[in-house]
Amino acid sequence: MQAVTIEKLSKIYPGGKKAVENLSLSLQKGEVFGFLGPNGAGKTTTIKMLTGTLMPSGGACTVLGLNPASEPEKVHAVCGVVTEHAQMYDNLTGLQNLFFYGEAFGMPKDEYEKRARKLLEELELSEAAQRKLSAYSTGMRQRLSLARALMHRPGILFLDEPTSGLDPESAQNVNRMIQSLARDEGITVFLCTHQLRYAEGICSRFGLLEHGRLIADGTLEALGRQVFSGLTVCVRGTNISGGMSQPEKRDAVCGFTYRKTGPDQFEFSIGQEEEIPKLVRALVDGGGNIYQVAVKTKSLEEIYFALTEKGREVSA
Amino acid sequence: MNRAMLAIMKKDFYGVTGNKRLFTTMLIVPLVLTLVLPTIFILGIHFAPGKTDLDQLLKLLPEVSDVEHTLYGLFLNYIMPIFFLLIPVMTSSITAASSFVGEKEKRTLETLLYCPLTLRQIFIAKVFASFSLSMLVSFLSFLGMAAVLEIELVCLTGSILLPSISWVLILFLVGPSISLIAVTLIVRGSAKAQTVEESQQSAVFLVLPIILLIVGQFTGVMLVNAWLLLGIGAVSVALDFVLLGRAAKRFDYELLLK
Repeated sequence: MQAVTIEKLSKIYPGGKKAVENLSLSLQKGEVFGFLGPNGAGKTTTIKMLTGTLMPSGGACTVLGLNPASEPEKVHAVCGVVTEHAQMYDNLTGLQNLFFYGEAFGMPKDEYEKRARKLLEELELSEAAQRKLSAYSTGMRQRLSLARALMHRPGILFLDEPTSGLDPESAQNVNRMIQSLARDEGITVFLCTHQLRYAEGICSRFGLLEHGRLIADGTLEALGRQVFSGLTVCVRGTNISGGMSQPEKRDAVCGFTYRKTGPDQFEFSIGQEEEIPKLVRALVDGGGNIYQVAVKTKSLEEIYFALTEKGREVSA
Repeated sequence: MNRAMLAIMKKDFYGVTGNKRLFTTMLIVPLVLTLVLPTIFILGIHFAPGKTDLDQLLKLLPEVSDVEHTLYGLFLNYIMPIFFLLIPVMTSSITAASSFVGEKEKRTLETLLYCPLTLRQIFIAKVFASFSLSMLVSFLSFLGMAAVLEIELVCLTGSILLPSISWVLILFLVGPSISLIAVTLIVRGSAKAQTVEESQQSAVFLVLPIILLIVGQFTGVMLVNAWLLLGIGAVSVALDFVLLGRAAKRFDYELLLK
């Protein structure tokens, strides 16, 4: 069974604003899916429709086989949601907050008490457990929200900008936790963010949203192939022979385009992975001393901007 | 009522009682109405230097054997019940505003809506929390008032005064029913109101009929007796059913999270 299915989902707000348009995608169980797009792209609207707090104007979606539009409370029982608007109670302590949500999710007392303490420990909030939420920093609140969303051991997590306001160390800690949840417990993660570097670090697949429309989805490699042809190979070595000593020259023998990027550093453009041995052989045969060969993958940021640019050209 | 709903009720209770500013505001009116006002009145009647004007007035009425005791009875069973109605209206509107609009204002409502409860269950839990806290304050206020009044009367006159049937109707029919009306008015306005203060203004409309009753009673236009209270109670209960049904319909994800 797929964790999430979305078919031609649309949302038009009163007033005619199209927040989401004909969105179709699906998520496998245990997948960490990065739903990317700028502010106002329709990411939060999609989460709201998937959690049943917003009615779609068209199309349909399911979460772990449940229809959020007709049985939102059943969807809530199997999912955890963290959004910046979903706050907790300032007049309660961190621990009391988690106890309350544990009880509201129908967990037995001894179970929610144990679970709350364990989550606080994992998210490095044990020391602040007895402190009122009003004394928490933004980062601590964000981590407590994640703990709250995990209290009832959900099958799927909807996270809307979960690391905004977190310091790098806490963000790394949260990332590790999200990845281990997907890997070890099989939790599906639907992560909305506009922080591309952050998403690249933890997501296994991506969906790129712009103006409510999905412009691409797939793994980093698959997305890269949509906009970039060939591979870039980084070579570190000395005595790279022949015409290769000058930047932006073409090797007459092998036909590889290259660029000198630093002392003893070169970048070669090749068509496909199979050409790497041929390139290395040619360099060695030419008298070069090779110390390192690595394939440079395009970053999500580069791919994202190339895809959005392509999307604009198509729509123009 | 399941455990999750009880948890919401408990949390709403604590949200009001744990907030010193809110709780103090909520207790001031009951304290003044049930402890301070009756004490001033009783002491006033008992220690008034001369009752000449009042004697003139009483000569117009059928003869009464004990003027002082009659006045106490008039105060306890005719004047106090109407003033007392302000307590459930005020407490339920404060708790409902904190429970519904306060959660919206503090952005905790969205989190609550992600719990595995139907909107109807959340609505019932919240209405019940506001209603029961209001009833608790009303009953405690009545008990406090009765205790203080009886102690004062025993000390000053050596006798006690029993509350009339009007109090039974106030405590078990009119008070609860108008308390529910106040809650529904707050819920009704909660979709539009962005702050607790803004939402409490809608309950002001409910205070107006009570003020009219007080004015009517003092000017002699009407006598608030058991039959009138029974009538008011019946109308209020009917209104409760209509308003609760409508308020439940307005309790909708999109309206609440707007």
